[in-house]
Amino acid sequence: MNYRFVVKPELCIGCRTCELACSFAHARNGKQGRTRIFALDGGFKDLFVPVTCLQCEDAACAKSCLVNAITRNPETGAMDLDHEKCVRCMACVAACPFGCSLIDEQHELVVKCDLCGGDPACAKFCPTKALEYKPVTVTALRPAI
Amino acid sequence: MVSLTINGKVVRAEEGEYLLAVIRRMGIDVPALCQHEAVEPYGGCRLCMVEITKDSWDGWKKYVTSCLYPVEQDLIVTTHSDKVNDLRRGILDLFLARNPETPLIQKLAADYGLTRTSYEAIPEPNDCILCSICTRVCDAMGFSAISMVNRGHGKEVAPPLHQAPPDCVGCLACAQACPTNYITYEDVGNRRTIWNKQFELLVCDKTGRPTITKEFADYLIKNREIPEDYFRIDDASHREELADKMGRITRWSVTEEAK
Repeated sequence: MNYRFVVKPELCIGCRTCELACSFAHARNGKQGRTRIFALDGGFKDLFVPVTCLQCEDAACAKSCLVNAITRNPETGAMDLDHEKCVRCMACVAACPFGCSLIDEQHELVVKCDLCGGDPACAKFCPTKALEYKPVTVTALRPAI
Repeated sequence: MVSLTINGKVVRAEEGEYLLAVIRRMGIDVPALCQHEAVEPYGGCRLCMVEITKDSWDGWKKYVTSCLYPVEQDLIVTTHSDKVNDLRRGILDLFLARNPETPLIQKLAADYGLTRTSYEAIPEPNDCILCSICTRVCDAMGFSAISMVNRGHGKEVAPPLHQAPPDCVGCLACAQACPTNYITYEDVGNRRTIWNKQFELLVCDKTGRPTITKEFADYLIKNREIPEDYFRIDDASHREELADKMGRITRWSVTEEAK
């Protein structure tokens, strides 16, 4: 998993194209899904921050899931949520410290970013390249404790 | 890997897989009411019954619940033969006698050409189809607060002694997983009632919106090592906090670069 989201909030113009792309990419039964990415106010004038799942290494969502519905996808590196297994107890929604496990009320599902199976739609549609999905070289590894 | 024949098509399957999973993967619609991915197969509803045979069985056939039958080499499976459909119709007839007003059962029975039961419907029907998904999900989550009680016509889902279950944390997994919405709960403000037990919901410090119950959060903090701090605010506020932090870092790095 050498691909990462490269986010440059200073380039984000808050157009929410990423939200729209995500919503359409995750449509089910002919209905748009809830967006898993949010272009939020960064606290300064004209500064927006695209916020989505960080695919944490020691993910709180997976730890809180009592039926093991959230697992790491070895191909994409994403923490994937199995909708068939999910019992919608909302543990991950409450436990995620970044609020990126969320409820899709229309489809009555708990949803999270799945990196669109390795080719995220949000990054493809970003007009200013504030959000990119590209290969990164690992320059610093976490020191062994 | 083993290879078997399902409805005339040769398919390959992993050893140890159950027939129903392979059948579903092929896109064949076999009804199953007690099937849930989060729990082990149960064989409770009997609707996933299929016909199996082998060339070496001299024309003998068996009718098995596909959710519990592991795949075998050279197995020949038929999912919708006349005999299998007849068996399913018989089971649905009984389901209709027990749950005459349940939309899920009515629809499934109508698919098999039944609109009313040939038996006498029970006088006070409810929507519980005794699939046991709720109790098995509760077991899988490690609470075991509810279970099946009694046998025969008196069988039902209930907490111990029909009293507020001490082990229930109010996660609502049972109600959410119930295929017929038989299990009811009530959320009023930051109070939740399920199985006659009262719970207090945690509320977000910022927006005041309720999240999960205090008991459930305590369980996750204690057994799953989730920091207590994470349950302070709801998901929307968490996102805003993250955006705010990243915004400040961006502003700082941009001004540093300009210097």
